[in-house]
Amino acid sequence: MSRIAIAAAFVSAALAAAPLRAAEAWGIEHEKTVVITGRVVDLVCALKGDCPPDCGAGKRQLGLVTPEGQLRAMVKGPVEFAGPVRDLLPFCGKSVQIDGLIIENPAITLVMIQNLRGKTDQPYEWAGAFSKDWEARNGKADEWFRADPLVKEVIGADGVYGIKGLVPPPLAPAAAK
Amino acid sequence: MTKRKALAAALLACSAFAAPAAAQSSRVQIKGELVDTWCSVTGIMFALGTAHHQCAVWCAVGGIPVSIKDKDGNYFMVLRIEEAESNSANPRYVKIQSHEVSVDGELIERDGVKYLFVTKVLDDQGVVNLTHADNGIQPFGN
Repeated sequence: MSRIAIAAAFVSAALAAAPLRAAEAWGIEHEKTVVITGRVVDLVCALKGDCPPDCGAGKRQLGLVTPEGQLRAMVKGPVEFAGPVRDLLPFCGKSVQIDGLIIENPAITLVMIQNLRGKTDQPYEWAGAFSKDWEARNGKADEWFRADPLVKEVIGADGVYGIKGLVPPPLAPAAAK
Repeated sequence: MTKRKALAAALLACSAFAAPAAAQSSRVQIKGELVDTWCSVTGIMFALGTAHHQCAVWCAVGGIPVSIKDKDGNYFMVLRIEEAESNSANPRYVKIQSHEVSVDGELIERDGVKYLFVTKVLDDQGVVNLTHADNGIQPFGN
């Protein structure tokens, strides 16, 4: 076996041994990369017993209840400015495993999902369902968050500062390009 | 069966069949700013007031939970506002982002999160935290 073939064999063995996905650290204070397995729940249902069908069908914030009984709020996905409700919704009431970040800030504990899977023998999938769902409803856009109809309505009414009539100065010519 | 064995059996039966303990709740009045929970807690950008209003709207539309941050730095994740049943990307939440509000509600604290169910918005001052002069428009400047 040539040196190149041996090196290639080592590389493929290393790749095979590595997990298919691993959460990316963001360097946030109180952050840890984490793998959490738990049952997907509607947070309101878990806390108050008010349980509409299908975990609220995408209109409710979702979380995981771990086998130890901890309730974890799943607040962020990997898509810019978007949460993970669409990724978790198909698993309502079922077990799912996520990898991502847990932020154990003394003021509040939050979880960001980066990847998830329904069974531990399946590969992880990137938690990007928000983009697919948004594009199905609105079409493609470079920046969904500027193109969204509700964003346009709210920012159009009150401006970027949230105060009607208070507008930013015009962009300098170089920045306006 | 001895008394001790009977007591142990009774305790075991109780623990096996008891429903999960209901989360304790309390009535509260909270005053603070409606914020995007993720940006504000993580500190990945300046995330208060006018400078962050547009981004807070993006995040609320994107379905990230909205919280009230009070003057002591407590976060109250809002899961209901009055009659609004939905709490993800609900326009009711989106349209009051960055507002200074006083609310009456029910607080349930569990596993490191203060969850707030707002019964009544007592006061809404609108956006009053003028942060844009020092911080521009977060995060992209436009």
